[in-house]
Amino acid sequence: MIWIIAKREIVTRSRSKAFLGLTAVLFVGVIAVALVQLFVNADDEPREVTIGLVGSGADVSGALELGNDDLDPTLEMVESVERGETLLDDGAIDVLFDGEVLTWKGLPDFTLDSYVRDSVQQAAFADRAQGFELSDADLAALFAPVEVGEVRLDGGDDEFGVRIAAAGVAGFATFMLLQIWGSFLMMGVIEEKSSKVVEILLSQVRPSTLLAGKVVGLGVLALVQMLIFVAGLVVGLLLVQDIAIPGSVWGSVPLSVLTFLLGFGFYATAYAAVGSMVSRQEDATSAQLPVMFPLLVGYFIAAASFNAPDNIAVTIGSFVPFTSPVLLPFRAAMLDVPVWQLAVSLLILAASTVLMLRFAGWIYRFSILRTGSRVTWLEAWRSRRDPVL
Amino acid sequence: MTLPGDPTDGLRIVDLAKRYGTVVAVDGLDLSVPAGGLIGFLGPNGAGKTTTMRAILGMVRPDRGSITWRGRPVDDDARRLTGYMPQERGLYARMKVREQIAYFGQLAGLRRSDAQARADVWIERLGIADRADSLVQELSGGNQQRVQLAVSLVHDPELLVLDEPFAGLDPVAAETMREIIAERAAAGVSVLFSSHQLDVVEDLCDEVVIIADGRLVASGLITDLRSASATRWLRVRWTQPVERWTPVVGHVESFDGRTALVRLGRDADVAASIADALSAGPVSEVALEPPRLDAIFTELVGSHPSARPETTGVAS
Repeated sequence: MIWIIAKREIVTRSRSKAFLGLTAVLFVGVIAVALVQLFVNADDEPREVTIGLVGSGADVSGALELGNDDLDPTLEMVESVERGETLLDDGAIDVLFDGEVLTWKGLPDFTLDSYVRDSVQQAAFADRAQGFELSDADLAALFAPVEVGEVRLDGGDDEFGVRIAAAGVAGFATFMLLQIWGSFLMMGVIEEKSSKVVEILLSQVRPSTLLAGKVVGLGVLALVQMLIFVAGLVVGLLLVQDIAIPGSVWGSVPLSVLTFLLGFGFYATAYAAVGSMVSRQEDATSAQLPVMFPLLVGYFIAAASFNAPDNIAVTIGSFVPFTSPVLLPFRAAMLDVPVWQLAVSLLILAASTVLMLRFAGWIYRFSILRTGSRVTWLEAWRSRRDPVL
Repeated sequence: MTLPGDPTDGLRIVDLAKRYGTVVAVDGLDLSVPAGGLIGFLGPNGAGKTTTMRAILGMVRPDRGSITWRGRPVDDDARRLTGYMPQERGLYARMKVREQIAYFGQLAGLRRSDAQARADVWIERLGIADRADSLVQELSGGNQQRVQLAVSLVHDPELLVLDEPFAGLDPVAAETMREIIAERAAAGVSVLFSSHQLDVVEDLCDEVVIIADGRLVASGLITDLRSASATRWLRVRWTQPVERWTPVVGHVESFDGRTALVRLGRDADVAASIADALSAGPVSEVALEPPRLDAIFTELVGSHPSARPETTGVAS
């Protein structure tokens, strides 16, 4: 019976433009992210720039043409400042140097700016060194680089970008899909209530069966979209070949799916319960606030913690069932979380989901046939000893 | 699917009671619908009809009393053999007619193919075959009512609970509804239906249950209720118009110059009344008849069948 109800939800919703549009956007978005990832990682070549030199600017051409890891400069001798400004304007050169002043078209390019300044400085050192009658060997000794080593207490984290991508997909996708599909479920409940069709449904099936069917049906669709996200993440990870991907990032993939399923059970039934308390679509926005708020809190904690995920809010939030659907996969992707902590957090979430199913089912049963004014929380609470159904 | 139990024993409600907070919706109601029985369920708004019907369908948990179908408490299986038409009609607006009827058939336990076949039968029967693939929201009000009826009948129920099935029907649909209800009852289905249109009730069924304030006021054959009534109607028709007539006994309900309708007590002196009428002029027709159902209803309940409720109850 649950499956018949779930199937109706799946069939009617998967035909709707909203679902098809959303899925298409997700699909394109995930591929775009994967491509950007590929592009960013392939972009290791020094950037080509053109430096225009005029007047005494040509004196430092020897130092300027060397280039470095970031820049691959081409030098262009310009006969006059006016001509140089025209070239700048046309974009033929990136900067004009006359030996004293750097002329830019607009905002300075900071990498190029410091490159030119450093090169001028180097040329000046070499020039002045001749005044002190230093030999080339003296000069080389003077400028011999000092090796400064580096030790990182975190053991080095070249894969930081990978972690951010995984955490972003895990946390953001979970937040977005819970929010979107929770609202869809709520709207469906309100539609059945306001159109009165629920009374016919309940003459044949129990409220818990109806609610379960709707949650399962929308859950399947939401899971499809979550898997699109996860597939995008996996494709992205596989494209990033020259960075060692930490095990915790791979581990966050199944973890994301698991927490998503539990989180969906938790939040979707809560959305259904508040939906059953109102009779009109117009009341939906205010009704969903108490459910949406904790979900938003989890999202904001995650969004604010990308640079320092090891904070107390993320740690606590990954255990609290209201925020753990978002923060647990986020934390697991960003940091190496001990397995026991993952297990405890998942257990808390699973137990809370069971409690929420009971609590929300009870509000739903009480509220779904009540018409007229909005059911208050007080009425719902009092009803626990006087169930309508 | 047929449930075990005595098939001649239909729906039986004993001492049903339900209150919502301080509002008493149903208060010790007894009611039974035998197999093949067709019972009109009457009462003013707020009398407890909808609560009773919802209790039969398991949507209201009674505070007290029992509801049995064929001698066994009504359970999920029994409910699947019930067709329900709620007072406030409801369908999925953005679902196609055939799909929707078949869906409800499946919810009632039919296999998918059977549900579709049964849906087609009712679509044909109700004359909406050309709209079978339209969305319900594209249908006229009358056709939506037909879909609603098909939804309550698609699974071939053995018990029909219809809350105001004639409300809002166009004359053609009302006639179809009347035919189908009579036909189902003749086929052995137990039917309980509420209505404010007492002429329809009188026409359609032999037996009624009248409730007010959640309590049983009267029940039984309409003919018995009529003959048990404390009043009689005397109709007098004169051969030519008379100017004015004030009978010595009884109360004139209507008078149009040639015809008068007088309400008498059951023990009133009818002969004296007729003599009195003769004194006004030559009489062509005299009839003494028991009151119609609507008059009995008013007599018993103290208000007209379509009167608004005095208090705003949680459920009517």
